[in-house]
Amino acid sequence: MNTHFRSRTARGVAVVSALALTLTACGREGDGGGEGGASASPGITDESVTLGITTPLSGATAGPGTCTVAGVKAYFGAKNAEGGVEFGDGKTRTVDIRALDDTYDPQQAKANYDQLKNEVFAMTAGLGTPTNRAWRDAAIADEVPQVLVMTGDPLFSDTDESPWQLGFVPIYQNEGEAFGELLASSTEEHKVAILSQNDDYGEGYVEGFKSAIEGADNIEVVEELTYEATDTSVDAQLTELANSGADVFFNAMSVTPLMISALQKAQQLNWKPSWFLPSNTSSPGAILEPGGAAAYPGIYSVSFAKAPASPAFAQDEDVQAYLAALKEHGDYQDPPAFPHCQWSWMVGATLEQAFAEMTEPTRENFMEALRGIEGFQAPLMLEGTSVTTSEDGQPAVSTLNVQKFNGKGYDTVESFG
Amino acid sequence: MGTFIQLVVDGLSTGSVYAAIALAIVLVHQATGLINFAQGGMAVLAAYFAWWLTNQGLPLIVAILLSIVFSFALGAVVERWLMRRFERGDPDTAVVATIGLLTLITGIAGWLWTYNNQQFPSLFPLDTVSFLGVSVSIRSIGTTAVIVVAMILLQALFVGTKLGLALRAVAINPQSAAFSGLPVGRLLMVGWGLAAVLGAVAGALVAPQLTLTPGMLDNALVYALAAVILGGLTSPVGVVVAAWIIGVLENLAAVYVPFIGYDLKVAVPFILLFVVLIVRPQGLFGRKTVVRV
Amino acid sequence: MASASSLSTSSPSTPSPAGQSFRQRPWVRMAFPLVVAVVLAVLPLVLPEFANETVARIGVFAVAVLGLNVVMGYTGQVSLGQIFFLGVGAYVTAYGVQNDWNIVLVFVLACLIPAVAGLIVALAAARLGGLAIAMVTVALPIVGVPLAKRLSEFTGGSQGLSARFAETPEWTGLYDDQWQLYLVLVIGGVVFLLTRYLVRGKYGRAFAIVKGNENVASSMGISPYRYKVLAFTIASLIGGVSGFLYMLVIQYTSPETMSFGHSIELLAAMVIGGAGSIVGSILGGAWYVLVPQLTNAVDASLTALLQGAVLLIVLFVLPGGLASLPRVLARGRRRSGADRGPGAPPTTPSSTAGSGTAAEGSERERQGLA
Repeated sequence: MNTHFRSRTARGVAVVSALALTLTACGREGDGGGEGGASASPGITDESVTLGITTPLSGATAGPGTCTVAGVKAYFGAKNAEGGVEFGDGKTRTVDIRALDDTYDPQQAKANYDQLKNEVFAMTAGLGTPTNRAWRDAAIADEVPQVLVMTGDPLFSDTDESPWQLGFVPIYQNEGEAFGELLASSTEEHKVAILSQNDDYGEGYVEGFKSAIEGADNIEVVEELTYEATDTSVDAQLTELANSGADVFFNAMSVTPLMISALQKAQQLNWKPSWFLPSNTSSPGAILEPGGAAAYPGIYSVSFAKAPASPAFAQDEDVQAYLAALKEHGDYQDPPAFPHCQWSWMVGATLEQAFAEMTEPTRENFMEALRGIEGFQAPLMLEGTSVTTSEDGQPAVSTLNVQKFNGKGYDTVESFG
Repeated sequence: MGTFIQLVVDGLSTGSVYAAIALAIVLVHQATGLINFAQGGMAVLAAYFAWWLTNQGLPLIVAILLSIVFSFALGAVVERWLMRRFERGDPDTAVVATIGLLTLITGIAGWLWTYNNQQFPSLFPLDTVSFLGVSVSIRSIGTTAVIVVAMILLQALFVGTKLGLALRAVAINPQSAAFSGLPVGRLLMVGWGLAAVLGAVAGALVAPQLTLTPGMLDNALVYALAAVILGGLTSPVGVVVAAWIIGVLENLAAVYVPFIGYDLKVAVPFILLFVVLIVRPQGLFGRKTVVRV
Repeated sequence: MASASSLSTSSPSTPSPAGQSFRQRPWVRMAFPLVVAVVLAVLPLVLPEFANETVARIGVFAVAVLGLNVVMGYTGQVSLGQIFFLGVGAYVTAYGVQNDWNIVLVFVLACLIPAVAGLIVALAAARLGGLAIAMVTVALPIVGVPLAKRLSEFTGGSQGLSARFAETPEWTGLYDDQWQLYLVLVIGGVVFLLTRYLVRGKYGRAFAIVKGNENVASSMGISPYRYKVLAFTIASLIGGVSGFLYMLVIQYTSPETMSFGHSIELLAAMVIGGAGSIVGSILGGAWYVLVPQLTNAVDASLTALLQGAVLLIVLFVLPGGLASLPRVLARGRRRSGADRGPGAPPTTPSSTAGSGTAAEGSERERQGLA
């Protein structure tokens, strides 16, 4: 590496003052991570560690985006209040979170990453496929961890392709597959109508579902349509699907208002199939109740997180601690409207597990520690699901329970019907 | 056949959502000669206000009426203290100012009420009416009915009343309007106030279906703009009809033209718009304006 | 950096009462471009990494805003679709790089394909005027997003395309961010210079006449249709260049890149920077990049509120855009000087003064800073 006459001269240049507000401190001491094992990576001292998040905090996806910050902030806020998190090297550090808004714009996400990469120890928890993909290559080149991010894109869980990445939530294929398997095991014949979001989210769900029902003679897909996430209405799709006479409706939809109006519209058309809903748009309070879901013979979804609104978990210790911390440390006053809040809380717990195994304050060591977690039952996780990071091709959470709506919350089910 | 009619009916009800915003845009344009990108944002703010009032225990209809009053004041204030600075200047600058206003309002709504989806109670029951094998929700019928009433009132305002004539005179030529003794400033405020009222009604009508979020009307705005241009900037009837045409054609194209499908159906209104404008630059129902050199 | 250069030109002129005459002095006219060139050449070496990356991003969007300015600021045709051409340029670049095409060929295609697309759109759209052309151009990003998803064979669908190219050559001894910034400065600089010659020459005058009044243009033998098509095509070509630079700096594109919202933001950046102004285009690019960073630094959960407020405040104070700041300041000085003098001219009533300066500002914008 060549030498530079930067940092000090830079201060003299008038230009810097114009940019000063948005600039990081001068210099590039933190370049490339420590070569010698002992030298610490950027963003970590003996007292504290800083984590970075780029996620949508304004715009159309700001609802779930805000949750991805709130959960992890609440988790470490509560830990910091107790003194900090114990690391594997025997030191106790407080965890600071630096969250920036990317408005779901990949370009802004990359800019946020550039801003944070030399200040934070690791990037985590950010929501969105394009916004995480935008700086994935750069993170690999800079050897900055991009871990436990909220996208079901399988690329982030491919260790060869993405050595510095790890997804948190199950890949979309997993969720579709889980429901497909349940349906294939049914003793009856079923006709399935499919509606999916026209992007990797919808495609992933459908791909997983179809792979699970392949070879099952009792299942027939009779109609398959798509919609755009920016649509204001899916009435026409529902009208067409209702006409197919399907008795099962696989609806891979991630937009809350459209999901509600789909539930309402099918009733108006007097079409009453069993529904499958994705994990992020199946909230009992925010979606099923206003959608009038009680009218349907069955509403199925997949989950690995306890729903805090569900009466079954009202007295649950995890849930109570979580809700209290969310209010106190997460800047989140309302009851969580998106499961991303719970997921983000689990990200915090998973990070703590990795920190506990870290023997050196380096990003390499952190990645090693993070990839060594097996069967960790994070708080808020449902019975039968766990965090396992050692499996190539799978995100941190790949186990799911299929659940059925019981009018108030969800029950885990083993069979369809 | 049943599906076809159902698709048409669905399209009409979606079109009514676009029409609601489009009418408010037309009103502002008639009154001030501007396209207001923040029209939807102001409607969202009014809807939040009504929603907040219902949470304080007020009955829905009272809350909506209060939000209408609030909107009139908001529109007038925005015109007087913000937009007046830009009205005589470069029109592009004025449009960008309304974009800034939209961003600001969205930000305020997100700050006060979060970006989460809030349930807005509906004025109309969700029950359905069926005839000829077609089912329509009472909510859609109600929404459409209110839009039609608003359209008729607006048309009457422009064509048949002194206020409407004065508003238009101010928009077309403020100087000569002032010379002929019209209170230009106050008329501009009234124009914006009335448009905001229309927006508030629209917001309350569509919020139950779209659920209340700060960006609730962002996606509808583009369609509303298309309807405004397609129908002709000067005609309330024109834009409502155009909005319905857009809603229906989109559905039919998605279902019956396999190449278009549900992903590219959004192109349909713009292709239609383009064809119409080539033939009739003033829009379907618009009046031709003569520009002197 | 542009903000700095324009500030530095105005600050030395502070003591002299007439700022314009300082800029007109021959040695200033000779030395100024040289100083700018030297500063730009040295800057990447001395700035910290993130500053370089930020300046490079400013360059990307300054070029995009410049393209919009050609069709809108100079020719007066409202285009809400400029981001579409950036997106096409970015996709062409990403596709070419992924298929190991020669990078020069990729660059040429990234310019030509958007230009041809723009030409086709313009041939049809330029028949219209006013709001109608705006609505037709709205369709570009609105239809472009689902179209990009449908053409997933070339575009990678909603997951987008990544492409890292133009690795720093060994012999330069530069860091990646420095090398990238130099490329952006060179390519962007050439585009800016060429555009400057264009809008100051006979085409620029024709654009201005078309903008002023199409009927007058026709009567002078200038075909509004042809010049509108020309302006739109050039704007699309410049948009393609900005797409190439986008891939160089951001290294990733997806349908999200060309969403309608970003097109609106570009429009706002153009007006805020200063419509019909070369310096304004750079300021617009700086606005596009720096304001989100600034609002993120203040409070990441209030970005929309802050951005809206900042935009309105700046426009309220400077309806002619940031580029009009030196003139507004100069006028302020002249006015305060005049007030002290004995023969102060009768001032217009304050109610009309506001709109008067607004109109005057944008009027001078068109002729002055081109």
